[in-house]
Amino acid sequence: MDSSNDDALDIIITNVVATFRTRCHLNLRTIALEGINVIYKPELGKVLMKLRKPKITASIWSSGKIICTGATSEDEAKLGARRLARCLQKLGFKVRFSAFKVVNVLAVCSMPFAVHLIDFTKNNRPIASYEPELHPAAMYRIKHLKATVQVFSTGSVTVTGPNVQNVATAVEQIYPLLFECQKPLCKS
Amino acid sequence: MRELFLDEGLEDRVLDDLRHLWESKMMQSKAMEDFRKNNINSSNFVLQLPANYSQTDQEVTGQLYKVNVPVVVTQAAAGQQPVSQPTQKVPEWKETPAPQSVAVPQNTTHQQEVEPSPVSAASVTQPAHPKANLPPGQENNPPQKPHVPAVETSQLQGAHSPETEVALEENEPSPHPEPVNLSMTASASSQLLDFQICTEETFTQAAQLKTRDIDDILKEVIEEERVKAERARSLAPAKTDNQAEGVLGLDLDYNYSELSDIVQLDGPADNSDIEEEEGVPLEENDFLGIINAEAIKALQEGDESSNSISSSSDSEGVDELANVEEEDPLNSGDDVIEQDIPDLFDTDNVIVCQYDKIHRSKNRWKFHLKDGVMCYGGRDYVFSKAVGEAEW
Repeated sequence: MDSSNDDALDIIITNVVATFRTRCHLNLRTIALEGINVIYKPELGKVLMKLRKPKITASIWSSGKIICTGATSEDEAKLGARRLARCLQKLGFKVRFSAFKVVNVLAVCSMPFAVHLIDFTKNNRPIASYEPELHPAAMYRIKHLKATVQVFSTGSVTVTGPNVQNVATAVEQIYPLLFECQKPLCKS
Repeated sequence: MRELFLDEGLEDRVLDDLRHLWESKMMQSKAMEDFRKNNINSSNFVLQLPANYSQTDQEVTGQLYKVNVPVVVTQAAAGQQPVSQPTQKVPEWKETPAPQSVAVPQNTTHQQEVEPSPVSAASVTQPAHPKANLPPGQENNPPQKPHVPAVETSQLQGAHSPETEVALEENEPSPHPEPVNLSMTASASSQLLDFQICTEETFTQAAQLKTRDIDDILKEVIEEERVKAERARSLAPAKTDNQAEGVLGLDLDYNYSELSDIVQLDGPADNSDIEEEEGVPLEENDFLGIINAEAIKALQEGDESSNSISSSSDSEGVDELANVEEEDPLNSGDDVIEQDIPDLFDTDNVIVCQYDKIHRSKNRWKFHLKDGVMCYGGRDYVFSKAVGEAEW
């Protein structure tokens, strides 16, 4: 399902970003003084709390909005978020775990072949863009999936999308396009 | 934080002055303890007191207002125009009891009053209806009028001001200006905030009104307000169109719950998430000193909007609540495991020092410390400079 070939492509999710709300105001100073593994950033108005078990870093705002980053799967993100809410609850805040939403998923995938970026960009003119002087990868945006794929000449591909399913679909979609422009084959 | 402290400091000064005055006369009222909680908003209270009590103890009025403080804060941010309206009624009341003291403050308040007069006229119709329903229960003493309306208005800040005013009217049917005053107060539930403007002036006026035993008045007012609260509640769900009233009713519920442990049947306590929701507004009140008025308002608006939605249409409310419920149950530890590993780090090795620079990259930390003492391995050390690295 990951690839249209016989060999399965390994899509490795490297980062899942999720947000949720505690539905109550949070006193950042209290969290910074009494919380464990916290970094207070008063100039930015937030507290970073790092969790060990699901390796997660959370940005906590006084409004009760929390952004959770560093998880490696959607479930892990949710578990980490709940642990985090539990930590805040223990600090004494009337926390309610609400509006949990995975906002962004970043995954990497490695093609078994190198890609000729110039040909790839030529074939997919409006959707793909490649500016070697700015960035070494060609960017391919899949609008209906709201996913962005960055293709490197080595065949490595990074995909960012709103959820894991979209990311997997994006890889499936782009595989045939990349296959056409393999380096050893369509080298012009 | 500093700004907040400064604000608190400024307010505290004013409050301290007022408190001294109150405490000297506090002997009668027992509500002092309850009011001390709302020290932050005492400035608002003080302002309101003079407006309401043209000739009463400032202390007494202050106490009454304290209860309403949380509500006052939020409303103040919302509307300032209506606030001016209640001031009108204050000067009018003052005229009857003590023209002397009133004259001075009235001049200042009149300026504010002029603007709201047209607005108040529009609201006259509303108070007219509730009038008939409101229970009389109170004497028609002229001194009571300003006292009672002041107390009631102060307490029922956001909640059905028209209803409260109506009650006031019933107490004093004879005076002509009363209905006008009531309408003004009704339209400006949030007007209580305006009282802040005339705080100093009103103080003198409040001192003048002291004809009654404050305890009796308080009791009467509380009883009336309870009745009104009930009516407000019944009216609030009925009037889906008028969300403002519903909101006011909800705010009124807040006040009442604080005043007299009345179980809220609607508003925040409308749905199954009762406990948590009720806890939220209380929590907000505790953080008043820290939270901005806008923040509180935002939170309350969020609660109010959810409440109004639930009251307006049960189906929609149920759906929203259902979603919230699905997300909510944190199950206090059942599903969420706490982190026991950090406990391993509670050793006796302690360093107390100042820092020059603390740097972190991912999970690698670098410390540049200075002027410190430390207890390491049971031995004490002192250093003027220390450099360290650690991995988290």
